Amino acid sequence: MTGVDAGRGAPVLPAFPRPRARPRELGLLAGVGVALAVGSLSLGLYRTGRLELADPAGLALYAAGLLVAHLVLVLAGRRVDEILLPAAAFLGGVGLLLMQRLPQDLVVQEVGPWTLGLGGLQLLWLGVALLVATTVAVGLRSDRWLRLYKYTWAAAGLVLLALTFVFGSEVNGSRLTIEIGPVSGQPSELLKVILVVFFAAYLAENRVLLADARVRLLGPISVPPLPYLAPIAAMLALALGIVVIQRDLGAALLFYAVFLGLLFLATGRLIDVILGLLLFAVGFAALAALFPHVQDRIAVWLDPWADPLGSGYQLVQALHAFARGGLVGTGLGAGLPEVAGRLPIPAVHTDFPLAAIGEELGMVGVVAVLAAYLVIVERGLRIAASSRDDFRALLAAGLALVVGLQAAIIAGGNLKLIPLTGITLPFVSYGGSSLLANALVVGILLALSDRGPAPLRPPRPPRLGRLRRRGEASR
Amino acid sequence: MDAGLNLALWILRLAFLALLWLALALMARALLRDVRAATRDPAAMLGRLVVTASGGQPVMGSVFALDAVTTLGRDLGSSVVVDDPYASANHAVLTFRGRSWYVEDLGSTNGTFVNGAPVGGLTALGYGDEIQVGEVRLRLERGRG
Repeated sequence: MTGVDAGRGAPVLPAFPRPRARPRELGLLAGVGVALAVGSLSLGLYRTGRLELADPAGLALYAAGLLVAHLVLVLAGRRVDEILLPAAAFLGGVGLLLMQRLPQDLVVQEVGPWTLGLGGLQLLWLGVALLVATTVAVGLRSDRWLRLYKYTWAAAGLVLLALTFVFGSEVNGSRLTIEIGPVSGQPSELLKVILVVFFAAYLAENRVLLADARVRLLGPISVPPLPYLAPIAAMLALALGIVVIQRDLGAALLFYAVFLGLLFLATGRLIDVILGLLLFAVGFAALAALFPHVQDRIAVWLDPWADPLGSGYQLVQALHAFARGGLVGTGLGAGLPEVAGRLPIPAVHTDFPLAAIGEELGMVGVVAVLAAYLVIVERGLRIAASSRDDFRALLAAGLALVVGLQAAIIAGGNLKLIPLTGITLPFVSYGGSSLLANALVVGILLALSDRGPAPLRPPRPPRLGRLRRRGEASR
Repeated sequence: MDAGLNLALWILRLAFLALLWLALALMARALLRDVRAATRDPAAMLGRLVVTASGGQPVMGSVFALDAVTTLGRDLGSSVVVDDPYASANHAVLTFRGRSWYVEDLGSTNGTFVNGAPVGGLTALGYGDEIQVGEVRLRLERGRG
């Protein structure tokens, strides 16, 4: 079926890839699995008083999904990064435990014959996410169609966003979700991937110009030639405009931060970032002056206790949750006391999973989750550093930055470090679009880290003993 | 019994946290090994040229590690000897200047091309660009990989 046809002289290229063991990935996945099993045990023990897993079927299905993804990568036989999948599985697993622990009636949907609660739905989406990630990792062989159709991608992203604006349904006062039949999704999650592809393709094409053909602005301060920044600035302005009108401030912040990060990576000039931050400050001040809801956000951030039962409610409850958690937390299942039959933080499964982790797993748990994001970012930057051309390097770095910055923005918001903006915690939060977009990120990163099929093993050197004997015989 | 249950809960809770960190530590160890391997990697270099199209020598698919100054041409003293009837003896030179690569034509008969456009004077290159010398095309790639 595979391998080299040894019988006839020239080696025949394998028609089917030779499987290649990935021991490091398997070991790390096993470590993650054992940790999750113990977490599930502690939740089960708290709930029932008996030593049993909280949701054995769910956990087993998740483990099986990870194993299948691992096996697919093994069978593909390519030399692909082995740490990314376990790190994402770590975060996804912690998220799954959290969703199994939260009251199941937070979200209920009927999928075919089953009625699934929060944990079941999250498991379903994790399964789809694993499918997407492995398919992209194995199937995305050429970056050509990402690179060449950059304007098409950008246009598609903007159309998607505009559609949400026109046909979207309102949740919590902002139009972020679009519904097609039974499936609803948040296009801004997908847009972040599309934007990174566009930025990377454009900056790679013009990198040399932007970095070296500088225009003097004032004394030693120089900027890239502005006409060459125009397409990217226009794209950014459109995306920012739409998400700001949609009140999706988190997405706007994320897009802008990723743009600055990629611009710095492309030109290597700190002055670009400083000017970008100055522009951001000006723009933010203008926004705050124009839109009252931005002012509200800032007021809540500065003093949530001014209106602890109204606009500051969620943030105050989140801060209390972190305080109750302390160093090692209350243990899974023991935190989040319900107030009058409902959770203290209504959006705990989407915007505030970190607060729940902070309460039940404590600071040790929160730092562990943040460390897992660092692992993903490090992998992305390493893939970027060892990729063969500018587009692949910028794409890998941009995708890593998107995940890291999104985690930083929402974690900072939950902890009252920066104004709270409603975006999801990647891989952990409940939600299909968030999980799928981040699965796409992992899949593309895996594909970019591909160093081709393993080289054929050199033929075994002939044994000396036999050679000598033959030589003697011929003499 | 209640005390026993409590104790078991405590042990499981702390074990869960410890195992989470153990998984992270294993990942960190893998990362560190990777970083060390990359610094030891002899292939760490400024960049490399991959031959993507060629009539004769160098053979298609061959890879050249680049020095900060790399000359291309038919002359046997060139860093990359391009044995092509349409290449001049001293055809072009690649230089790495701080931030990026530059290519310069050395007055060759048939000219040097970057992505199909003729090179006049010092031209900056990005990784992934294709240089054409005679009928040989070479792609500039980032080193290490």
